[in-house]
Amino acid sequence: MILSKPKKTTKMLFNSFEFFIFLPIVFVLYWFVLNKNLSIQNILLLVASYVFYGWWDIRFLSLIMLSTILDYYVGIRIHGTEEPKKRKHWLWLSMGFNLGLLCFFKYFNFFIDSWITAFNSIGIEMDPFALNIILPVGISFYTFQTMSYSLDINKRRLEPTKDFVAFATFVAFFPQLVAGPIERASNLLPQFLKRRKFDYNLAADGLRQMLWGLFKKIIIADNCAPYVNDIFANYETQSSGTLILGVIVFAFQIYADFSGYTDIAIGTARLFGFDFKRNFNFPYFSRNISEFWKKWHISLSSWLNDYLFTPLAIEFRNYKKHGIFAALFLTFLISGLWHGAGWTFIIWGGLHGLYYIPVIYSKKRFTSISTNKKTSKKEEYSLSDLPKIILTFLMVCLTYIFFRAASVADAFGYIKIIFTEIPLWPSGVPYKSLFFIVIVMVTEWFQRGKEHGLQFNEDSKVPAYLRWTIYILLLLIILIFSGQQQEFIYFQF
Amino acid sequence: MSNYIAEFETLFRDVLENDDIVLTNETTAHDIDEWDSINHIYLVVEIEKHFEIKFSSSEILQWQNVGEMIDSVKAKKDN
Repeated sequence: MILSKPKKTTKMLFNSFEFFIFLPIVFVLYWFVLNKNLSIQNILLLVASYVFYGWWDIRFLSLIMLSTILDYYVGIRIHGTEEPKKRKHWLWLSMGFNLGLLCFFKYFNFFIDSWITAFNSIGIEMDPFALNIILPVGISFYTFQTMSYSLDINKRRLEPTKDFVAFATFVAFFPQLVAGPIERASNLLPQFLKRRKFDYNLAADGLRQMLWGLFKKIIIADNCAPYVNDIFANYETQSSGTLILGVIVFAFQIYADFSGYTDIAIGTARLFGFDFKRNFNFPYFSRNISEFWKKWHISLSSWLNDYLFTPLAIEFRNYKKHGIFAALFLTFLISGLWHGAGWTFIIWGGLHGLYYIPVIYSKKRFTSISTNKKTSKKEEYSLSDLPKIILTFLMVCLTYIFFRAASVADAFGYIKIIFTEIPLWPSGVPYKSLFFIVIVMVTEWFQRGKEHGLQFNEDSKVPAYLRWTIYILLLLIILIFSGQQQEFIYFQF
Repeated sequence: MSNYIAEFETLFRDVLENDDIVLTNETTAHDIDEWDSINHIYLVVEIEKHFEIKFSSSEILQWQNVGEMIDSVKAKKDN
């Protein structure tokens, strides 16, 4: 089953025609046909989620089901015993299974390849026999979600649910199944257990957030992709200036791609009366690296903070700052490995870890990797922070070269050209994409106190006709300037 | 109990470099801006030093608020 060739992917992308049909059907059934009974509503969401996933590959649905059944059962067993030893055994069963799944599907080839290279380099010849293992989409996301459930129960922060359907839907809920946000049971599970009421304002805001996400994905990410792909594929022949622009455009591509995806996911959930945790908080306006990690892919960084960094740092606490740095550096290496089985991702993570050295060893200790702090306090940054914002952005861009390059050697080659040649004006500047990037960034700058770029408060002073003009304009731009449909980058992780 | 709170407050103000911090049993990391995951580790180290005790890792990971932290200290000091 696993060894067959990857077939042509037909994922039901958020930006696909299939989803455009699928979503209204589920929406109507959910609110207007099956709205009398909570359990039936949940069953509908579960079936819809499995159809959504099965559209891509029905075989791998079995993995989600296995992981769901196991953690549902493990949760009840951990809660049911006070014996520390038994609790530990059950917890390890969950960790072992989920991490085993992840390791097999995601890292098997990487380790085999690395071993062969290592043996070859010391003169022992080995035949490469790496298997062609397909990466089941979403596996990195749902395994993390189910693991956090068992971990929280073990730490007595959560009581297990006895509603299997609710739990299964929590794991597989289609808006966040394939690329997050990685929801916590403490936030999302209770929402499946109580009646949802249709809230027009919430749904309308969900639609606005989806529109903003689609705009970022289709207009920026999909239009930047061919330009960036070309530069990274042929970097040897490019000038220093072009390479600098290439990685900057990639920074906006990946932001538009992933935050666009997230906006659509959160917006979709709102249509069904669910409230996901925030996943992006305008990260490119960060003034230092720790702020960046509190604003970028928050659901992953807070997961790593709670289940990896904090336990490690507590374990290492007698080594003071060195212990904290070691815990943090390890966390970032693993974050790199989470993104992809390859040395480029590990170096990407390592660089981010090294960026924290001044933060940890300077006198002022002001920061964490990420916290779920409420952002009720008005964001205080202003244009005078621009130098810090740009510096942080450029530091992040440097790491992106490793993130995006095909190999470590390519990344170093890319960097070498940037730093050894005099940067000339780049060739083939994608002015159209840059124009839309500026539009999005300026909009988000003014909206930085809000949850997404297109949010209007209920008491908003923007008149209705102006708002509708903006929506229609965005839709028209999407129809006219859409790039060739690209898969979401984070689907591969 | 109130004694412990006062001692905790001094430690918190010292480690988090903020003299305005006021603690209750219900205070959590959400209530204090400076109380983040890195500073949390410094707090644990300072509390252990101050009360001359050692927590177990799992004990630390279960704390939900200041009250539970104080309970852990009390359990060790009063026995």
